[in-house]
Amino acid sequence: MYRAFVLKRVLYAALMYVVMVCVYSALFNNVADQTLRAQIEEQVRQESTRLKSASAEQLHALIEVQRQIKLNQYHLNEPLPSRIFWRSVRTLLFDFGNATIIKASNGDRLVRGIILEALPRTILLFTSEVILTTILGVALGLYMARRPGGFLDRFSSAVTMITNGLPSWWLGMIAIMVFSYTLPLFPSGGLHTNPAPTGLAGVIDYLWHLSLPLLTLVVLGVWGTGYVTRNIVLSTLQEDYVMAARARGIPERRVLFGHTLRTAMPAIMTLAVLGLFASIAGNIIVEGIFGWPGIGNLYFIAVQQNDVPVLMATLAIETLVNMLGFVLLDLIYGFLDPRIKIGGRA
Amino acid sequence: MREFWTEFSKIRTGLVGLGILMAFVVLAVIGPAIVPFPGAIDHWRDISFWQDNPQAAPPVWTNALPWTGGKGVVSSVLTHPEFSEEKEDSGVTVRKYVFPYAYSVDEPPRDLVVRFQGQGQVPVDISVHRPDGLDAPLYREQLDIAQGVLQRVSIGRNCAQEVIEFVRAHNEDLAAALDPDLIKPVSILFSKLDPSMADRPAALTGVYTITVTALLLNDQFAFQSPSVVVSGHVSGILGTDLSKRDVFTGIVVGIRWALIIGILTSILTVFVGVVLGVCAAYFGGAVDWLLNRLYEFVYLLPVLPFLIVISAVFKPTLWTLIVIICLFFWTGPYKPVYSMALQIREETYVEASRALGARPGRVIFRHILPLLLPYSFAVMALSVPAVIVYEASVSLLGLGDSSIVTWGQILHDALGQGAVINNLWWWVVPPGVMIALMGMSFAFLGTALDRILHPRLRTR
Repeated sequence: MYRAFVLKRVLYAALMYVVMVCVYSALFNNVADQTLRAQIEEQVRQESTRLKSASAEQLHALIEVQRQIKLNQYHLNEPLPSRIFWRSVRTLLFDFGNATIIKASNGDRLVRGIILEALPRTILLFTSEVILTTILGVALGLYMARRPGGFLDRFSSAVTMITNGLPSWWLGMIAIMVFSYTLPLFPSGGLHTNPAPTGLAGVIDYLWHLSLPLLTLVVLGVWGTGYVTRNIVLSTLQEDYVMAARARGIPERRVLFGHTLRTAMPAIMTLAVLGLFASIAGNIIVEGIFGWPGIGNLYFIAVQQNDVPVLMATLAIETLVNMLGFVLLDLIYGFLDPRIKIGGRA
Repeated sequence: MREFWTEFSKIRTGLVGLGILMAFVVLAVIGPAIVPFPGAIDHWRDISFWQDNPQAAPPVWTNALPWTGGKGVVSSVLTHPEFSEEKEDSGVTVRKYVFPYAYSVDEPPRDLVVRFQGQGQVPVDISVHRPDGLDAPLYREQLDIAQGVLQRVSIGRNCAQEVIEFVRAHNEDLAAALDPDLIKPVSILFSKLDPSMADRPAALTGVYTITVTALLLNDQFAFQSPSVVVSGHVSGILGTDLSKRDVFTGIVVGIRWALIIGILTSILTVFVGVVLGVCAAYFGGAVDWLLNRLYEFVYLLPVLPFLIVISAVFKPTLWTLIVIICLFFWTGPYKPVYSMALQIREETYVEASRALGARPGRVIFRHILPLLLPYSFAVMALSVPAVIVYEASVSLLGLGDSSIVTWGQILHDALGQGAVINNLWWWVVPPGVMIALMGMSFAFLGTALDRILHPRLRTR
């Protein structure tokens, strides 16, 4: 039963992803075609310069043949729908072609390599952020729920409202200004010092560079998680079984952690997972501000420099990540709540 | 309504939110009247409009902070001179404007700029009378002034030679030590005439009088509204940025755009979401299927990346930006409304109305939508902060509407011109605080509304 639900959900998401990639291909078709043509032209010309022995006419014919082969290889001589179709297929197979301007750290132009280089950094930053935020947020929420209406509760609720409308990148700017320039405690950006130290010193250096963006995100994120935890825990505390547990004389601490938190945890985990995937796809500006060379930063550079292959690839990857998040969430829901998988529709 | 109000007034956070919002609205309305540079709305990116302001000057009140070392000159504009007019027998009118200026701090102003308007050939003479009794003639020129063109004489830039001449008239040796290419004329003018002048001028405090004299040779010629701009080290309530713009003016002007974008977008968003949700629920069948697939498609799009691409391609104006944000945000109220409308559709009075032959439009707008109104208001208020943040994000990346002044654009300039690196906090902090404050007021309001209006159909 659950397996059928999983299959259905995954297939559906895959279909959705295909549709979205087709839409992207159609959107970028014009510019992407131009870029690809220019790249082919350059490639063909480079190859022709190697053939010095050939006469001018032979060379010309050879270039033309080469060009046609390449154009056919990328289906560029075909009508529009076909071009869009083949572009979608290439994108779906993660064959994003070459970047026009952006290079990987080893000088390579292959978009796949560039993205594979950036993605782990983003995942590292936001995974550690979500883990820290969840742990601290749940702790905060529990303390808030212990004395609803108390000082901590009211204070944190107010802070939640304030941080709710606060752009994280602005806090990042302030953090850099205070902790990198006024008090030089942390580096203002980047991945490591140049040249990068090796061994243990390298790891420490990496963590040191990670800490300011991480701290900024955590300081901003904790309140929201705390507030949600508080609400869930408070509503769970009204349940009959909690009252029964209290009546049995079970210590308050165990009621809170054993009975209440256990029930509240799935919802909190959901929130964390959702936050993680949303951050990976959406926290472009924070990475830009901190010069953290992850996928968001890459995306931003691609937009600025009009590097269409990278732009499209990043968008596709971010959509995929987003999609994976939602699918995962649905699967968790389906696992926790049998009603959903029977209905099959949210 | 009265019931609503009595209940609302019990929720303290709601009142706070309403209060802040009211303050914002009042500021947005009277803003142009209270800002020091009322023309800024149309001239925000006009360099010449701001040219007489000091560059990157901290706010005035930083002078009062104990840890800032020397007290800097407050930037100001002297506008009300003592005016006297003499008509000579030859038909020439002599107009004399005297500006007293009390100078009491350690560092001299960065520049003095005399501004005026006029018409025709007008000989203009500018001189300064110092507290030590000496007179420094600074400027004497016959100007050919076109009507309506603002004339500027900058002491710092135009009068270096005259200042050296003034020193030479009183102390030849001292003048010989001054290099006309290197000195700051205004610093010399505001310092004691002693040997320290060449390298570390000592401030001469007291009341300076700046005299502007204009000769009007006949009745056709004119000379009007002279003023003296003292360009100092601190300026305005919130300082100035690197393009010499007054940050406070920008912040106040930004309020109206934030309100317009936030409120209009959320109204449009909620309207679209609610109508689509109701339609999907009411009509069912193909409409239901189509709208739900559309919902899933938009819901799965990564919002910010997509917003950035669209903005980069279309270079949006304010209005298209509102529409674009709406295209992504209508999914917010869609699902809750959909499930609520599904229930309302089955109510007997809806059935009765349909049985009486009411058309779908009438049923939807007369019987279903009114029930969803309270919920819609709460969602509207709650979605404003996100809208404002998204607009600011797009603007921060330099993709916003460049004909208006928003907080995001101020932050974009700050980031692009190195305000963070140079610790120009007065340029970075206020816009963010305003974004947070406005978001907070709507969040308070929204949660308060949510609590009161708590729609009876909300199942969760």
